[in-house]
Amino acid sequence: MLVYREKDNLIHKLHPFTIVAFVGVVFILSLVLSHPVYLLGLFLAVGVVIIAAGHLKEWKVYLKFSIIMIIIIMIINAIFAQVGETVLFIGPRIPVLGKIKITMEALAFGAGMGVRLLVIISAFCLYTYAVHPDKVLKLFSKWGNKSVIVITLSTRLLPLMVGDYLRITEVQRCRGVKLDTGRWWERAKNILPVVSVILISCLERSLQLAESMHARGYGSGFRTYYTRELWRPRDYIILTALFISFITGVWAALQGWSNYSYYPRLSVINLGEIKAASIVVLTLMIPAILNWGWKKCPLLKSKI
Amino acid sequence: MKSNFLTVIIIAMFLLLVFSTISENPLYHVNWALCSVIILGLAMLAFFWSFEKSEAVSKEVVLIATMASLAAISRVPFVVIMGLQPTTFIVMITGYVFGTRTGFMVGAVAALVSNFFLGQGPWTPWQMFCWGMCGVAAGLLAGRDKEFQLIKFTVLGGICGYLFGWTMNIWHWVGFIYPLTLKTFLATYIASIAFDTLHALGNIVFSMIFGRSFYNVLMRFKKKILVRFLASDNLVK
Repeated sequence: MLVYREKDNLIHKLHPFTIVAFVGVVFILSLVLSHPVYLLGLFLAVGVVIIAAGHLKEWKVYLKFSIIMIIIIMIINAIFAQVGETVLFIGPRIPVLGKIKITMEALAFGAGMGVRLLVIISAFCLYTYAVHPDKVLKLFSKWGNKSVIVITLSTRLLPLMVGDYLRITEVQRCRGVKLDTGRWWERAKNILPVVSVILISCLERSLQLAESMHARGYGSGFRTYYTRELWRPRDYIILTALFISFITGVWAALQGWSNYSYYPRLSVINLGEIKAASIVVLTLMIPAILNWGWKKCPLLKSKI
Repeated sequence: MKSNFLTVIIIAMFLLLVFSTISENPLYHVNWALCSVIILGLAMLAFFWSFEKSEAVSKEVVLIATMASLAAISRVPFVVIMGLQPTTFIVMITGYVFGTRTGFMVGAVAALVSNFFLGQGPWTPWQMFCWGMCGVAAGLLAGRDKEFQLIKFTVLGGICGYLFGWTMNIWHWVGFIYPLTLKTFLATYIASIAFDTLHALGNIVFSMIFGRSFYNVLMRFKKKILVRFLASDNLVK
């Protein structure tokens, strides 16, 4: 059921903190930077890393889904932002909104925001498919012991409940209760008793689980913790690259390079802006480059 | 320690909001998408922190995990119909029976865990917050009630359906729409009204059908796990 799959490449063999840091840096940069060149660069970098991690197929599904959202964003922007100078189309007068005026600037802004959405969705796609949720939770186990155990337990209980549901419905079917045929409200009526049975059996199980934890001494004293994850040179290399990328991105934002004014007219793109953007993008691509080296060169693989 | 930490969080959120309204300072042109995520994160941190510092025993921990995964799993068959989600009802009834803190934890964990299976995204913290708040609202509604108030609970279910959607809309509006004016604000909200109504109606229907029976089962369970340790001099010698 879990969508995470273990794969044989560098991205899947990183320390969980490194990959979470990568997703975090991309997410924050995509919110801080609003220049289309920067956003496209971020999109390129995340895309390359996703392909390196071997998740092209899943990524395509995410992209298709976000295209619909981008179209909605562009339409709302084009209708409501009446500021641009290059008018493409003047529509009829509508009671509340006044005269509809669709400008190229508003469309471009919508597209820019669409790229931002693509970057964010792609970053989370990488997170969903390339990071094991338990490994991330273990990062926090030092500080949040109760919250972490709640989340881990409920991730574990989910498949058990699916099993319960299948077992109970099968018993009902054997008894001649119609769950698959008949009209929909009849089927709904037959499924109602199953719901309370599931609730009760889950609660009973939770009581047993709690007693077993109690018997093993849960919460009785100082709690120890350990982790199996190793810090390797690859993690240090990537974290350094992420740090450089983050600093460059924030510096570019403070310099005003990452601000792009869509209104009243689309502004020109300077060379300086592109230079900083290429540093951000190249440093973010380092995981993918290392992965390539990891596959091609056994010496590098043994060193990192 | 606990109250100090909460005070710091509340002051930080307040200062962030005040500074962003005063012009002539660097925070005035703040990136609202980032700012809203920070404020939301701080609010959730406060709730999780208070749970960490509470005297929760193994039974409560396991109960939260069980109800959260029940709520999470109920999302999966309905995910095609956006809005219609029994999750809200399960979170609310748990909050109603077991109180605000348990309600929040069940809502937040349900959102997080169901997204392990449905896909994480920038919406995760918002869903965690919204469902957590549904649990808190139901917990506050219960107050000191001895009996189950079906009408009160159902009405709150309807209101929560709308509030959930309206809070989620803030993310969409702040993150992707420009300019941030009243007009675009209203347009975003009008666009979502169908989904919100469906969500509210779903909550009402689930409360009517399952409200009473879920309440009885959970109440019986609450009595079962409640352990009071008597002081030693109260015991019969």
